[in-house]
Order: sequence, then C-alpha cells, then structure tokens
Amino acid sequence: MTDTRVDLDPEAMGRDLVALVLTVVELLRQLMERQALRRIDAGGLTDAQIDHIGTTLMHLDRRMTELCDQHGLTLEDLNLDLGPLGTLLPRD
Amino acid sequence: MTTPPPVLTYAFAVCRPYDGPAPTGLTGLDPGSPVRTLPTGPLTAIVQDVPAADHTEEALRRRLSDRTELERCARAHHEVITAVSSLTATVPLPLATLYRGDERVREALCAKEASFLTALDRLAGRTEWGVKVYAPTGPPAVRETPAVDSGRAYLDRVRNRHQGREQRQNAALQAAERVDAVVRGLAVATRRLRPHGPEATGPQRTHILNAAYLLDTTRTRELRAALTSLRRDEPAIQIELSGPWAPYSFTDTGAAP
Repeated sequence: MTDTRVDLDPEAMGRDLVALVLTVVELLRQLMERQALRRIDAGGLTDAQIDHIGTTLMHLDRRMTELCDQHGLTLEDLNLDLGPLGTLLPRD
Repeated sequence: MTTPPPVLTYAFAVCRPYDGPAPTGLTGLDPGSPVRTLPTGPLTAIVQDVPAADHTEEALRRRLSDRTELERCARAHHEVITAVSSLTATVPLPLATLYRGDERVREALCAKEASFLTALDRLAGRTEWGVKVYAPTGPPAVRETPAVDSGRAYLDRVRNRHQGREQRQNAALQAAERVDAVVRGLAVATRRLRPHGPEATGPQRTHILNAAYLLDTTRTRELRAALTSLRRDEPAIQIELSGPWAPYSFTDTGAAP
C-alpha cells in the first residue's frame, strides 16, 4: 500500500459496523435455528416446548428483518466471502 | 552478490525443433527485442531478452502485484505460447520463467531433457479444454414477513427451506459429476482445479466444477457434441466450455527453474 491516507467517513464507518454486528447476529440466529431443529428431531421435547422454541425463533427472525430494513441492508449484504471456505451464511 | 547482467533471458515455452518459420509478429514482454528460438539438442526454447532492471526479484514482485501490469504480462506470455503451440507440441513454462542468459536456459533444458521429451510426446496432437459448471443461486433470500403464526409452522418452514437448499445443492453437484464423467471419458488426462469463489463468479451463481481435460485434437467434434447433449440433459446447471488451450494444466515436468 503506497497510499497511506485514510478517509474517515463517520457515516460509512457506522454503517459498516452495523453490518458487521448484524452479520454476527444473523449467523448466531441461523445456528440457533439449526440447533433447534436438531433438538426436535432428537425427540424428547413436548409439543408446548416445540411451539415455544418456534415462536421465539419466529420473533427473532422478524426482529432481524426489521433491523435490516431500518439500516437498508439485505441478507446478501451480511454475507461474508470466506474465499475457499465459501460464504459465511449459506446461499440459496 | 554479483551485478546481474543487463539482459536476462525470459523463457516462454519448450518444444522440439520444427520446420517452418519462427513465430512472427509477437511482441512478447518487451518490444525492444524479438521473440526467438533457442535450439538445444533435441529441444528448442522460445525465449526473449528482457532488461534485467525490470526483472529483479523486487521489480517483479512489484509489477506482478499490480493488476494491470500482471494482466499485460500474462497476456503477452499467453500470446507467445498460443502462437507456438499452434505450430507444434509445446510445453508452456510458468509466467516469469527467467534465466541469466542463454547458457543457463541450455543447462536447464539439458538437465530436464528426458522429462521435457516425455511431456512433448504426451502432448503431441492434443489440446487442453476447460469445463466450468455453475449452479444458479436461487431467488435472493427475501426476508418476507412470516405468514405463519404458530411456532411450529415457523419451524416447519425453516426445515423445508434447509431441505430444499440441500436437495438443490446435491442435485447440482451430482449433475456436475455426470458432466465430468462424460468429458473424462473423451480425455486422455484430467485435472480438477479449485472452483472460483463469488468474487469471480458474482452472486448469481456458484461455481461447482472447474476441470481441465487433455484431448486428442481429433475428438474436438465429439467433445462439442457431448457438451450440446449435456446442456440439454442437465438444465439445472450452466456448463461453460473453453478452449482449445495450450496444455497449461498438463505440463508436469518439474520444469520450474
């Protein structure tokens, strides 16, 4: 790098930070969903418990959508390219 | 450390001496000196003199990490190799293969004479083809407001989405393996390369097969016909064919200096 000037644009930096935080939250949310499905498949949970887990995850999903909308981000914006490892979040 | 000579010898490729004119109209890497042949025993190197100052280790590292300059060098390198391989069987050398003068090139060719000759025998009458297979990524994940109101229905929808994705991915990978099996059947050698990431393919598709095949030139028509029917039989994937190429992926002579 020969260009040592750093452009500090507070707005862009804030936006990047929000995107990064939401990326981590989205990753955890998706992991929780997978784990929930695994627990249900393994059996041993009551119908009430399953419904409770599902409702919680549904609210989390809605909240995530709202946050993304508020910050003008899409799910694709939150995905990180990890090179040979693929992307952080699964792509359809 | 001795001072480097003012001129280095850049080697593009190795072939057998052939009847006919040396490739003309090639600029190579440096317009100041011609691309020429350097016969050595049963082999001929395609070389060019280049200014040593532009090709010190440091200068090279700087130039090759500049995208534009890297592209220029790679294109010049490729242009010479393509021209020579259209005349005779050719072993392409890696980009930036440099020697301190013609004598060093001769030494290198002598030292590897047997493996160059074996490689040239294997490559004679054959060209490389590239096959890339892509799976289109589904419609962008729209985070629609859940139209479900019970926790159980939500979980079912998540489960369906996961299963659907897994099935699509498996189907695409299997289709890619079928493509590879067909083309492999026509080829004398195959190399699977690492698929490109989304930075090269864009977000609309996933690269799932990146393979190079060495084919007898007589089978070109068969290859094209096979690709046509594969495209018809595998509508779920995109298949790209490129070539004929100089046999970049099949020059395993340990020829790197």
